[in-house]
Parts: sequence; C-alpha cells; structure tokens
Amino acid sequence: MMLAVFAFLALAFLLDFLGRSGPALICLAASLVLTLWLFAWEIYSPEYGFRMPWLQVELEQRPLLAGGA
Amino acid sequence: MKAISEAALAATLDRLILCLMLLALAGVLTAAMGFQYLDGEIPCPLCLLERVAMFACCFGLMRQLRDGGSQRGAGVAMISAVLLLVISVRQTLLDVVPRPGHAYIGAAVFGLHMAVWSVLIAIALLIGFAVRLAVLGGPNWPSPAQSSTLARLSTGLGVYVAILCAINFISVLVQCGFGQCHTTGYALLR
Repeated sequence: MMLAVFAFLALAFLLDFLGRSGPALICLAASLVLTLWLFAWEIYSPEYGFRMPWLQVELEQRPLLAGGA
Repeated sequence: MKAISEAALAATLDRLILCLMLLALAGVLTAAMGFQYLDGEIPCPLCLLERVAMFACCFGLMRQLRDGGSQRGAGVAMISAVLLLVISVRQTLLDVVPRPGHAYIGAAVFGLHMAVWSVLIAIALLIGFAVRLAVLGGPNWPSPAQSSTLARLSTGLGVYVAILCAINFISVLVQCGFGQCHTTGYALLR
C-alpha cells in the first residue's frame, strides 16, 4: 500500500512536469486519499480502537480556599 | 505607476515566501534521507506518511510558483500541511509516553524527534500561508517572469524535489516491497 502511495505521488510530479496538470492533480488526490486510509489503518488498534488509553489525565485535588470568592 | 510598482513588489514578496517554504521543505526531506542512508535509520510507516504530506505540500508550492494567477496550488499545499499536522500530532501522542514497543524512532535533532519536528513544520507552514494572505492578500501575478532569479530558483528547487520523490519511491520499494513497511530492515535486501 505504501508503494502505491509513493507511486501515485511520483506520477503526480512526473505528469506535472510534462504539463498534464489535471491528471497530475488526480494522481496527487489519489495519493493523499491512500495516505489517509493507510494512516487510519496504521493507528487503529484491535485492542484500543482509535483511543489512546496511555494518555491519562486526572483532576488535581486542590484545597478550597476558605472564604474564597 | 505607484499601484503597478506595489503590485510588482507584492508579487515578488509572494514568490519569495513560497520559495523559502519550498527550500525549507526540500532541506527537511534531504536531512531525513541523509539520516536514512548515512546513519541507517529506517523510517517508520508514519514517518513515510509524513514525507508524503511534505512532498504534496511541495507539489502545491511548485504549482503556485508556476501559476501565480490562481491560488489552487496554495490550496493544495495548505491541505497537505493540515494532513502533515494530523499525522505528526497523532504520532507524537503515540510515542509521548514511552512503553514497550512504542518510543520515538531515530535520532533527535536539538532534542526533538522527527514527529515533533513535523508538528512544528506543519504549524510554521500554516502560519506562513496565513501571513502571506494577511499581508499580501494572495496577489495574482500577471505572468511568470522566467528570467528572474527567483523563477530560476523555484524551477531548480522543483526539479530537485521531484528527484527526491523518485528516490523515495525506489527506497519504499526496497524497504516495503509490495507489503507492509517495517523498521527492522529492507524487505528486498533480506
């Protein structure tokens, strides 16, 4: 899949240099769509899905100020 | 007369900003390939996708430099910069908490790894485009001055980036073959 991404990208540059702007843009769009698909596939975990449970945040326990506004 | 000279100045400044962006991206891509081939750092899949977003940004910049009468190239470059930001932020969040199987890959430059640098590069690109539009108003160039130094520089940079892209395509073929990419070695050299 990564090879297809770079193949479309290289083809876009080649077509652009040959003056074929329309097909070059289509190749670039194909490369970017494949990039998005591959990105989603790479970050998806069967265990966590798209979540990131290793990032944990907690509310800090702060004492209430007596007579505070 | 004054209006014409102001328009010419805005067009030259616009071309200069775009050239600087292209030069910066070409430098980053060259450095990444230098680390790969000279230091033996095999890029991870998300690192390769960041390169794709950078190349796509270069494509938009080259197009904008060639056709100043339209803002389509700038649009392509901005979409690519957003894509670069999304990928690099996710990779940074993936590796920000070191745990088995997950840590930043490769050498750090000034203490920052490639993913974090990519976040900064994407933000810098987006700020650059915003400043370009805010200050210069996205000027339209009547016709490209092919003989100017900036025009020659942008053409040369475009050819250089296209050669880098071709080298990367061959490199990905050797690293990944037709399957998944791994950082353990080059698939076709085993």
